[in-house]
Amino acid sequence: MNRSTLTVCVALTVVVAASCAKAKRPALQPSAPVAGATLWVEPTDLTRRDLFHGPWGKEHAPDPADTFQFVEQKRSGVNLGMTVKDSQGREWSVKTPYPGGLDSEAPVEVALSRVLSGVGYPQPPIYYLPAFRLQDDFGTRDMQGGRFRLKHDGLKDEGAWQWEENPFIGTKPYEGLLVILMLFNSTDLKNSNNTLYTRRDGDRLERQYVVRDIGAALGDTAFLVPRKNNIEAFEASPFITGVSAGKVDFAYKGLYRKYVDGRITAADVEWASELLGRLSDQQWNDAFRAAGYQPAERARFIATIKQKIAEARGLTRLAVRD
Amino acid sequence: MRRSLPSQLARTLVAATCTFALCAIAATADAQQGQPAPQDLPSVPDGLAEPQGFIAEPTWLERTAVFADRHLSSGGGGGTGFYLNSKSPVSGAGWLTLGPGYRHWFNDDSLVVDGTTGVSWRGYKMAQARVEMPKLLRSRISLGAQYRYQDFRSVKFFGEGPNSLDTAMSRYHLRTHNVVGYATLRPARWLALDSHVGWLEPSIRNAGGEPAFAHGGVAVTADTRDFPEHPTSGGLVRVSASRFDDRDGGHASFNRYESEVAGFVPVASSRVVFAVRGWLVASDAAPNNIVPFYLQPSLGGGNSLRSFSDYRFHDRHMLLANAELRLALFTHMDLVGFVDAGNVAARVGDLDLDQRSYGAGVRFHTRRDTFLRLDVANGREGWRTTFTLSEPLSLSRLSRRYAPAPFVP
Repeated sequence: MNRSTLTVCVALTVVVAASCAKAKRPALQPSAPVAGATLWVEPTDLTRRDLFHGPWGKEHAPDPADTFQFVEQKRSGVNLGMTVKDSQGREWSVKTPYPGGLDSEAPVEVALSRVLSGVGYPQPPIYYLPAFRLQDDFGTRDMQGGRFRLKHDGLKDEGAWQWEENPFIGTKPYEGLLVILMLFNSTDLKNSNNTLYTRRDGDRLERQYVVRDIGAALGDTAFLVPRKNNIEAFEASPFITGVSAGKVDFAYKGLYRKYVDGRITAADVEWASELLGRLSDQQWNDAFRAAGYQPAERARFIATIKQKIAEARGLTRLAVRD
Repeated sequence: MRRSLPSQLARTLVAATCTFALCAIAATADAQQGQPAPQDLPSVPDGLAEPQGFIAEPTWLERTAVFADRHLSSGGGGGTGFYLNSKSPVSGAGWLTLGPGYRHWFNDDSLVVDGTTGVSWRGYKMAQARVEMPKLLRSRISLGAQYRYQDFRSVKFFGEGPNSLDTAMSRYHLRTHNVVGYATLRPARWLALDSHVGWLEPSIRNAGGEPAFAHGGVAVTADTRDFPEHPTSGGLVRVSASRFDDRDGGHASFNRYESEVAGFVPVASSRVVFAVRGWLVASDAAPNNIVPFYLQPSLGGGNSLRSFSDYRFHDRHMLLANAELRLALFTHMDLVGFVDAGNVAARVGDLDLDQRSYGAGVRFHTRRDTFLRLDVANGREGWRTTFTLSEPLSLSRLSRRYAPAPFVP
């Protein structure tokens, strides 16, 4: 009797968990064009872009000396965080590291956001503060910092967009984005990490398809509990294992292989690696500096990334020669 | 032959535990009061880093700890949405409890509703629903209400008194309905004044009718532990008084007084933590009244006297002291040596520390939570193993608002 009750309870729990997962089989066919839809904008000024302050510039950055007013705890997802307001009344979504510091996503998210925006993929205004001062109902105290994302009036969050259903599937920017995410060992490609923003510029309404919660990267791609923000794991992880039937095989072992397996061509890899290869050493350094990485660690991350870019270019040359 | 520890020594031990815990609390409370100078840039606070173990940690253990931290912890009150309830409802329920729960926070955390069910390995069932407003008057006051149903099919009872025999074990099936309203006044982050009123309807299967109780109480708690589910510094002091009023005749009405102190002192960069806890529970009933056995203080089991069975000793009063030395073998695994001592008695003056357990164990934990515990203890009734998913001193019970039926150490 007690075992059967336990079984019923376990089954109920599994049903609840499964219903939360909302699994959907990907079709990976482009949907009908959407007016104003933007995934990528040609970075005509790529070499001049400021990857320290990012696309939204210094004027949107949080003041490190400010005292932030606590609004509420983050109540969704597995990462810790909170909503705060600064002295200008601007609201920020803060993602903080877990106590203990393992697998902190906040610096990864900022570094990758800088790189993505640098090569033409729109990103929201996000910044990194190593520590910040928080005022709540019991007083003021210093807190461990994290990723600060501004809730900008001109940028309206319309919810998640889906990797398997959007107007860009099959285009170079779409496939190239997946290549870039593979290069960074970005493991968590679930749709809820994507955000569709509407941004009004005069009469023009732009619908930005943004990969936003990209902190699960720069580690390995293990199927269960992949390491994040771990230079040893990142250095030890291969990027590309070969080319078969004209499609690139990635070393990625994560949950979302369906988005890349048997789909990405050497030309897609070439497109992405050429784009990343145009970033200067200074820009790479600025991207990781903006995320709070110390010189020795960012040098190792950047060296590994450049090695993977070179690997991608070598693969492309090999594929062309064959 | 059992030798009685002199009561003078027992009092000295309890006084030392209290002093130790109060010093730990005072030191941490002082630190928490420190306001940053306005002209300074903020700095990362101390104490967040995980103390490193004496031996380099294997990757599998680190990944297990990360998984447990992300998916099994409910720090900060938990998130909005469905969750897996894996917390054991009571000692003796078995090592595993599972059940779905749903929680929703509203309006900048000003209101939370929470519903949970669970069935344990031994078929114990519980269901509860709670609504709470935690941020009234700038978080100084919280108000809430809770309903809880429990169906514990096989709770052990060995008779009253310190001399009960382990061969005299019987079991009873206790079912309770418990409704409670509560309020907390929080003058400081680490200080809480709790009060509650409620209604308890117990029933025991195949036994006579049990009285319903109106109950209420007040408590003062000073808590400066760094992480309540895996404390490595700080301490806790709690004093409470409660009243159980028999509404079906009055012969089972009584008052309950409790005092509990715990302290956690880190040494060697927190690689070693010394933990102590002292707990006194006293019941006060009129001369012709009784304290129902399922509401009597009890000792024994994985959170009190670890070499004895769950609920091994019952009586009107209880004294318990625990001491643990925790060594961080790996970053997320501690080796532990412990001593438990305590007893029950019909009179407070007869309390001593004569029932003792000694043992060792391992703890798997993250910085903020204990997610697996294995303790092996020895005492005068032999060896006993505890395997559970919770911290050893069971201090999380202090956040419970419902009447403890059965009393759980």
